[in-house]
Amino acid sequence: MLKKKTIAMYMLTLVLFLAACSNGASNEPDKEGAASQATGEATTDDGKEIELRMSWWGADERHEKTLKVIELFEQKNPGVKITGEYSGFDGYLDKLNTQIAAGNAPDLIQLGGNIKEYVDKNALLDLTPYVGDILHVDDFNGGLVKAATFNDKLYGVTLGVSSTTLMYNASMFEKAGLPVPNENWTYDDFKADVIQIAEKLGKGHYGSYDLSSDAASLGSYLGSVGKELYRDGERHFDKQEMIDWFSMWDELRKAGAIVPADVQVASPPTAVDKSLVVKGEVAIQSASASQIFGFQELTQDQLGLTVYPNGPAGSGMIPPISGQFITSYEGTKHPEMVAKFIDFMVNDPEAGVILGSTRGVPPAAKIRDVLAAQSTPVDKVLYDYISLVSNTAPAVDYQQFPLDNEFTKLLQLTSEKIAFNANSIESSVDEFMTETDKLLAKAKAQ
Amino acid sequence: MQKYKTYAAGYLFLLPWFIGFIFLYLSPIIASLYLSFTRYDLLSAPQWIGFDNYKTMFTDDYRLGDSIKVTFKYVLLSVPFRLAFALGLAMLLNQGMKFLGLYRTIYYIPSLLGGSVAISVLWKQVFDKEGLYNQGLSLLGIDGPNWIADPHYAIFSLIGLSVWQFGSVMIIFLAGLKQIPQELYEAATVDGASIFRKFARITLPLLTPVIFFNLTITLIQSFQTFTKAFIISGGSGGPINSTLLYSLYLYIKGFTFLDMGYASAMAWLLLIIIAAFTGVLFLTSRYWVYYSDGRD
Repeated sequence: MLKKKTIAMYMLTLVLFLAACSNGASNEPDKEGAASQATGEATTDDGKEIELRMSWWGADERHEKTLKVIELFEQKNPGVKITGEYSGFDGYLDKLNTQIAAGNAPDLIQLGGNIKEYVDKNALLDLTPYVGDILHVDDFNGGLVKAATFNDKLYGVTLGVSSTTLMYNASMFEKAGLPVPNENWTYDDFKADVIQIAEKLGKGHYGSYDLSSDAASLGSYLGSVGKELYRDGERHFDKQEMIDWFSMWDELRKAGAIVPADVQVASPPTAVDKSLVVKGEVAIQSASASQIFGFQELTQDQLGLTVYPNGPAGSGMIPPISGQFITSYEGTKHPEMVAKFIDFMVNDPEAGVILGSTRGVPPAAKIRDVLAAQSTPVDKVLYDYISLVSNTAPAVDYQQFPLDNEFTKLLQLTSEKIAFNANSIESSVDEFMTETDKLLAKAKAQ
Repeated sequence: MQKYKTYAAGYLFLLPWFIGFIFLYLSPIIASLYLSFTRYDLLSAPQWIGFDNYKTMFTDDYRLGDSIKVTFKYVLLSVPFRLAFALGLAMLLNQGMKFLGLYRTIYYIPSLLGGSVAISVLWKQVFDKEGLYNQGLSLLGIDGPNWIADPHYAIFSLIGLSVWQFGSVMIIFLAGLKQIPQELYEAATVDGASIFRKFARITLPLLTPVIFFNLTITLIQSFQTFTKAFIISGGSGGPINSTLLYSLYLYIKGFTFLDMGYASAMAWLLLIIIAAFTGVLFLTSRYWVYYSDGRD
């Protein structure tokens, strides 16, 4: 009797738990069911009013400008309504993945270097049928069209040319009595500069963020020593380069020249509202060049952009690539209107003036001409930088590391282990190499 | 015939719950069991890979090991502290003081804000390097660490947050305390028993059914904690995996790395772990839970 009751209560508790659990932890499996449902729902408009959704990430400044362009498009095209779904970058892709799996992704999607991943998953619309007719890309630099072309089909349109690079607080360089870096600087110059800035500006000021966890910075460093992060399924660097990389940062950390580990975790450079470069406490961080608009808006200090330092093999800069693409969801109900809006974003002079260079230097020459006539000082910083890097970067055909998300997390974990002194450089790097090779093997198997 | 009609009414009342159970709970659970044997990236169709996910979990995923360690630390520390804290406050509030209702409400508020994102954001501010807590410490001349950003302390700020959300547990304890007959205390007082003796010999034994209930529920909740860790670590579980609670790692695997098959397998492992802990509680309960109404 007693036992029966105990068992019954036990089972009941488990059922209660299951209910709780399927709420949060494991609600993923019903996605397939939801897919068919959602496509049915999207047809609420019976031909008259066309409703589109567009998702992008960025800072406030970008949100405002994009919303204005949407408004302008709606005015010029009565009967079309576009709803913006915008946020910061954190969680953007998680949300998008879920929406795609559920079959209700936005009609217009902003993507970055990871566009290929979504092409491979058949999530994006082939825009080729609309090119020339609705969508005009003829005065784009050929490379920009190629960047979004896979298997001879166009899947996205470049919104702006940008590249990941170093953003510095010029006012801090000035206070420390140092000239701002130029394109000829080397890693020795970089080290000397950050040490001097930290020394001259005193406690609570650092020469640079700890960039050892930043995949783009690492990529550029490897280039400058004649190696490469990744090409054609293989890594093109060895343990020694990684040890050199982490040792360099460790040396600077011990000299008090870069941001200590706990401060870096609490105030990461990726969030514009937390960045200590904006606050005038750290002189250098890495960023996508076009982000300078969002950062500069929040500070009186003068911000600047420069290339990564040179190494024994010269510049390791990755040539400016398309910062962001606008793509369309494969399941959109209104492909023509989508193509029309994309064309409007990149070719309409009015839209071009509103957007400015918030996603990088615009790809269409005629828009650039319009903007050049009325550029702001920040525009000029970005334009000068883009032409600088175009001239100095070696002509390499950049390849994105596969499973980029996982690689980024792995690099960050390795960097934290060293920075918090949880593990020696040697053994952290060993672990890093093993895990990197596992990722490559996994990528091949997919 | 009449009998069937009676039953029919019953089943009709059951139906909403039953439909919800089948479609919202049971089918996703079964689907996740299937998915746990597949490679599924959310965007393309799942591929059957047999036991590979489970094999990887047990042999080739050091982050999972880290995550389980962190989760156990979190559960084993936060559950007892939360229960003890809630019981202590419930006993204070059971003293028949003035404005009892007001106090009860005030102490319950943190739990109303409970799992919410806002509270985690607030907590993050309080335990920041320049946050409220460290400012308090600095008045005492102590230079506090960066609680949330330091791998040695980060988990403790999560545990603290969990203990602070004691309200619902406290309310249940309070109800349990009210059930204990006053005569017992009076008799004990006449016999000259001390406060501690009364607590150990009357309050605790008579409260065991409530303790058992609270312990079980809190334990299960703690194993599933997600929001706090997600918000406070900015979704990373860092620094150095120090706040990588199981559910957070499951989320990262599923939605960031798009390993939904693996995440499903992890969900099943979590189910087994929780079932085991709950099972042990139930099996041992007959030795320490005392029902005063003679139900044994």
